[in-house]
Amino acid sequence: MRHARGSRHSPVNTQKLTIIAQDPSIRIGGKIVVSEVDVPAEELLAGPRGYRVNVIDFDTATSTLYKPAVLKRARDGQYEDPFALPPKANGKPRKRPKGYDKTLVSDPTFHAQNVYAIVMRTLAQFEFALGRRVPWGSQGHQIHVAPHAFADANAFYSREHRGIFFGYFTGPSNRTIYTCLSHDVVAHEATHAILDGIRSRYLEPSSPDQAAFHEGFADIIALLSIFSLPDLVGQLLDRGTPRGRMISKAHLTTEALKKSVLLGLAEEMGVGLSAGRDSALRRSAKLKPGRPYMSMPEFSEEHDRGELLVAAMMNAFLEIWMSRLKKIGFVAAGKRDRSLVVEEGARAAGHLLTMAIRALDYCPPTDITFADYLSALLTVDREVVPDDKYGYRAALLTHFNNFDIRHARGADKDGTWKQFDGQGLVYARTHFDSMLRDKEEVFRFIWENRKALDIDDRGYVEVQSVRPSIRIGPDGFTLRETVAEYVQIMTLQARELKTAFKITSPPDLPPTMRIRIFGGGALIFDEYGQLKYKIANRIEDARRQTARLKYLWESGALDGDQDEGLRLARLHRARMARPERSE
Amino acid sequence: MAASAPTSLNIRTYQVGFGDCFLLSFIYDDGKKRHVLIDFGTKALPKGTPKGHMLRIAKNIEATVGEDPFAVVATHRHLDHISGFEPNAQGSGTGNIIARMKPTVVVQPWTEQPDLAENAKAPALKRFGKGAAARVAALSDVHEIAAHVVDATRRGQLPREMRDRLSFIGEDNIKNPGAVKNLMTMGQKKPVYVFSGTKSGLDALLPDVKVHVLGPPTVAQSDKIKSYAKTSDQYWNFQARAMRAGTASARSKGRSKVLFPRHVASAGPNYPVEARWLIYHARLAQAEQLLSIVTMLDKFMNNTSVILVFEAGSKKLLFPGDAQLENWLFALDGTNDKYKALLQSVDLYKVGHHGSWNATPKKLWALFKKKKATSGPGRLKTLMSTLEGVFHEDHEVPRGKLVTELKNQSDLVSTNKLPKSDLFKDTLVQL
Repeated sequence: MRHARGSRHSPVNTQKLTIIAQDPSIRIGGKIVVSEVDVPAEELLAGPRGYRVNVIDFDTATSTLYKPAVLKRARDGQYEDPFALPPKANGKPRKRPKGYDKTLVSDPTFHAQNVYAIVMRTLAQFEFALGRRVPWGSQGHQIHVAPHAFADANAFYSREHRGIFFGYFTGPSNRTIYTCLSHDVVAHEATHAILDGIRSRYLEPSSPDQAAFHEGFADIIALLSIFSLPDLVGQLLDRGTPRGRMISKAHLTTEALKKSVLLGLAEEMGVGLSAGRDSALRRSAKLKPGRPYMSMPEFSEEHDRGELLVAAMMNAFLEIWMSRLKKIGFVAAGKRDRSLVVEEGARAAGHLLTMAIRALDYCPPTDITFADYLSALLTVDREVVPDDKYGYRAALLTHFNNFDIRHARGADKDGTWKQFDGQGLVYARTHFDSMLRDKEEVFRFIWENRKALDIDDRGYVEVQSVRPSIRIGPDGFTLRETVAEYVQIMTLQARELKTAFKITSPPDLPPTMRIRIFGGGALIFDEYGQLKYKIANRIEDARRQTARLKYLWESGALDGDQDEGLRLARLHRARMARPERSE
Repeated sequence: MAASAPTSLNIRTYQVGFGDCFLLSFIYDDGKKRHVLIDFGTKALPKGTPKGHMLRIAKNIEATVGEDPFAVVATHRHLDHISGFEPNAQGSGTGNIIARMKPTVVVQPWTEQPDLAENAKAPALKRFGKGAAARVAALSDVHEIAAHVVDATRRGQLPREMRDRLSFIGEDNIKNPGAVKNLMTMGQKKPVYVFSGTKSGLDALLPDVKVHVLGPPTVAQSDKIKSYAKTSDQYWNFQARAMRAGTASARSKGRSKVLFPRHVASAGPNYPVEARWLIYHARLAQAEQLLSIVTMLDKFMNNTSVILVFEAGSKKLLFPGDAQLENWLFALDGTNDKYKALLQSVDLYKVGHHGSWNATPKKLWALFKKKKATSGPGRLKTLMSTLEGVFHEDHEVPRGKLVTELKNQSDLVSTNKLPKSDLFKDTLVQL
């Protein structure tokens, strides 16, 4: 048997493409830091246009459509990377052609390649963590990406417009800043599109936590994914100092790392915003721990609240990294082996990144709170590493608590979700094979077991998805679980809420106003099709619904003037527009 | 000689469509009158309004005031509040008429203080506090951004369905240099620039009337409120600069500044079929972006509005310009008991921002103790100057829910319901 390219070998799974590793302002030796990254190999048309991403370079400010990037097919069946640096010769660093950096900034086909590669790479990270294909939040298989969509300092994913749009703007020294050249910005926006595909109701107004979750989560993915580029991390750890095989311990303290380029987001945009600001657009890891953040009025605002999630996660990451470094020791006085340092960072970040993504399956599909997310993270890790031998769960608990985030109320003492007590569940009326993929079959399971599952049957219930989750278990064997999510929806008049659900309405809420309430859960079935976890927000949870209603009323979300389609765009603009916070 | 006390007040609400123009005539027990004109501007007049309508209003103001003492309050610099102060070269404009009436004083928000951006540290200007210069500079950036947006709508790059709304808000926020200069120079005395807690500058004109200034807060005052998202003043400078990247060249030469001239595939209008879906949606997304920007800057400008409470006899009358939530927050802050007490006993409320959804915060409305379902003496009176149908329905002005509440809980006078032939509606308040 021959494969498509005329070879008897399986086609390669990945394709190397050059990207700007951070953004054009991050330079070493005056040169833009670039990296060759692996992206899923696929058939590519001009754009690039692949099976998940369609780059179309249209600028609304000037009504100009730019020529697409065309990648030529090489002999080995892969595509030629037109911006690849020449290969290393005799171990010497790669030599850059003259004008290489200028080309990167001034050639829109590189910009198109850059966004394509980072979006595909981010998608691949999610698919790797979840062991399945992941849909976009928007309709269709291919998301549009416009690298120079408008003259504005903004970039956003829009479900309604089925695309990710990147702006460009003039920086302080009249230099044009392209948001599509910032790894952090591109990875952040791609994450919004993917998260929206996994949990579509997280973009709805619900609570300060849900409002902040999208932003915080997208930041976490952007920050952690950088650590999978070892060459880059090795270079950026002590940028500006002479580099060699060793690295001084002075660069490896928690404080030094918090200040490093690696822990800051979108440096060039940050500088572009205004002089005097921290160089990064956001450096959440520098938040001071130990304050009652979750109840502080300024942290009820969604941008600042999102930073708490990032601060907790990135501080946990630093602690884990530092503790792994202690185990490897020094190779000379005050010096560590650079490659080992990078390797340990990549391992810790890779594990946390996978946890962060996989935890989404263990979160309720509506009205997420940071507490839910923490419990989901801990549960995911317990499933993979039951004895916490690397201290991930301890570090996460400590640092989430440091930023005033506690585990969920219904969780176990150690913060993880309790396994579902499956006594009384009826499996006889459903079929194992159908339960792996069929929404109707899972709904039947819910219907037959609604009492045992404690699902209120007064409202509308819909199974939104049934997805496989495949990972390697603690014993090294492949483990296939099934994740199903159901949503409950009910619409009542405000005056009916008290009687029906003991929900207290805000005093000035008009009694006849129609209020829509949500509930729902994630059902995790083990490899035998038995229900292992039910992680749910019950629709009749009066405490949660009362708090939600109060938030919606006070934030104006019930006034009907908020255009939800533009929520992320508005969120990003407000994030840039807010004053710098004084510590 | 000490003047007598005012016994009644006539409030003349002029029909200016989408705009504000109120002439307050305090009638004293000696029969003399003293007048305050609060705003004079329009952004859109009702359909079918005859030409020269604003001129007729100016002449009516002139005739009503005559030689009586008279002052002007310009709550903020939006077109729909100050366009009537614009003079013309012939000296026959509405602004010329108001100027020749020689108001004793013109009261404006502190952000209108000239030279504040350049000389914030000058002793006379220090009272405006830290951050004042940046706030004033931001206002100028806001004008530039609004001009960019208006320009983009005129060049026809945005979807048709969004253009009217964008240009309406954009044009309201572009600079009105003629009116601004006229306001600065028309008073007999130096203009008074006020902020929350300062004297109004109207005390000498209105004996036995206390005029409380509740807003706008200075930067330092509003910084004390921590519970809402703020917009940094520097942001507007940044945004203005960002937008220059795409429009500067276009404005100067009528052609757009293309980022990568050597890589152009098509400059339209006939784009390749496979790109058209994205092009339409990118344009729509961009129009939505611009709308989000002009809405933000419109709010920013509204929040520079002067908020006044006139306390005369037993009555309190609230005139907040277009103040929106962020302006109100300082006055409504839990620590401002004095303001709270004043607001609770308000007898007449000029509805903020033409009845828009967020200029009458729920917290403010909840304070008014004199609102009630049954009509009769002592019931809250409300005045609303507005015009239906000029904003997009998603952001309806006046807001239906608010209008219903105003009708149910107060005696509402709205210019929206005035017959076309009427120039104004008088409301007499016994003090």
